[in-house]
Amino acid sequence: MNNPYEVLGVSPNATDEDIKKAYRNLAKKYHPDNYTDSPLADVAEQKMKEINEAYDEINRMRQKGKGTGSSQSAGGYGSYNSAQNSQYYSVRIYIQRNMINEAEKILDEAPPEKRDAEWNFLKGMCAFRRGFNEQANTYFNTACNMDPNNPEYRTAVNNMNNQRAYNYGGYAANPNTNVSGCSVCDICSTVMCLNCMCNCCRAC
Amino acid sequence: MFGYLQIHKDELKVKEYEAYKSAYCGLCRQLGRDYGVLARLILSYDCTFYAILLMSLKRSCSGFDDGRCRFNPLKKCKYARCEDDAYSKAAAVSVISAYYKLVDDINDGGFFKRLLCRIIKPVFHHWQKRAAAGYPQIENIVNQMMKSQNVLERGGEVNIDSAANPTAEMTASLLELEAKDDSERRVLREFGYHIGRWIYLIDAADDYEKDKKHGSFNPFIITGSYEADYVSSVLNQSLARAYDAYNLLDIIDFKPIIDNMLLYGFPKKQNSVLQKEGEIKDE
Repeated sequence: MNNPYEVLGVSPNATDEDIKKAYRNLAKKYHPDNYTDSPLADVAEQKMKEINEAYDEINRMRQKGKGTGSSQSAGGYGSYNSAQNSQYYSVRIYIQRNMINEAEKILDEAPPEKRDAEWNFLKGMCAFRRGFNEQANTYFNTACNMDPNNPEYRTAVNNMNNQRAYNYGGYAANPNTNVSGCSVCDICSTVMCLNCMCNCCRAC
Repeated sequence: MFGYLQIHKDELKVKEYEAYKSAYCGLCRQLGRDYGVLARLILSYDCTFYAILLMSLKRSCSGFDDGRCRFNPLKKCKYARCEDDAYSKAAAVSVISAYYKLVDDINDGGFFKRLLCRIIKPVFHHWQKRAAAGYPQIENIVNQMMKSQNVLERGGEVNIDSAANPTAEMTASLLELEAKDDSERRVLREFGYHIGRWIYLIDAADDYEKDKKHGSFNPFIITGSYEADYVSSVLNQSLARAYDAYNLLDIIDFKPIIDNMLLYGFPKKQNSVLQKEGEIKDE
């Protein structure tokens, strides 16, 4: 195993608080929710495992140094799998293994009248894995409309909508946002100026 | 490529901005060394991004050297020192893609543009041959992209996804070459795919009015889907997926710079392109 401090990207002299913070940041980054439906879900899971182990390791080492015996495990974040009974079981397996051509071949053989919500959802998954976001969006929405109560389809649609809003940097990428316009300070200073002027008038 | 991969200067620390500039100058110098002084003119932000990413992935930048700018000897500048061939690769990508862009312009451009392109073509061709000899894989990848783009424009099934696919495949394959193991290969592929898709689509959005006037190929015209909100959500999603993949890479050197580009630089560029198009529409 790599040096646990390097895995968390902190110096060995860092305080417990810093390490906890670094761990939390990374755990947030690798959280499975960020990689729902993504072809990289397994890579993220692996990374999560590594930082969990590193964090445990550091805790163990430090607690030994302090002489307190109890070691606690951090593993609050794990991965989850949904096992489902599905008529497209083999398609799901193929998608899980990133064998998209094989999955789509089976899907395309389905006659048009049998193309239900799940069929649309899985078609959407295939497109999404290929990076074809627009097709994926259409299929996921169709699936969700055909079966609005299915949490799996709903999650996929929500996930798409979140990505399309892309707010990571605090920038709503909305073309109409005026970045350099009227800030809170401007409002305050304007009000203050107005207030001065009013006071001034009353004094006269 | 087209110069969309920029930093957001206001959000960088001064030392980070200096480091970015020194990589930019380093690539410029490499273009001069490998292909002659004229080749420095095709230096682009996109290829600088590529060079910085490679240096970061391979951890091959070992410091900064002082120097002077070739074009303006009064100006002092720093050069990021690179221990492997990241600069050479980025320079090869620059000249190869510049050459194919030129060929593309000869096929599609107006009369004067075509004439001009024909005059300078031998120079670009000479560079491209030299780059292709050094990096045959890069040449293959870019060549493949041009072929599939041509097939698509001459009667393929056009939608947003299929139109962006050739460029996205190209950047995905370029980055894939740099992976050290299979899991990194997949991450780089996904990252490259969505960055390439974003580049292609923002270029299409940028050229929308021009292409409409000249009747050129543009996926937003063909699908009739050009609306600011729609275009921005399409672009957002590509950036979001690229960022998710990027988070799985082990980036240490230049991290603040690359973070800045993905979180601020690219969204800023995107906003300015869409805002510009919005204004033209309103007039």
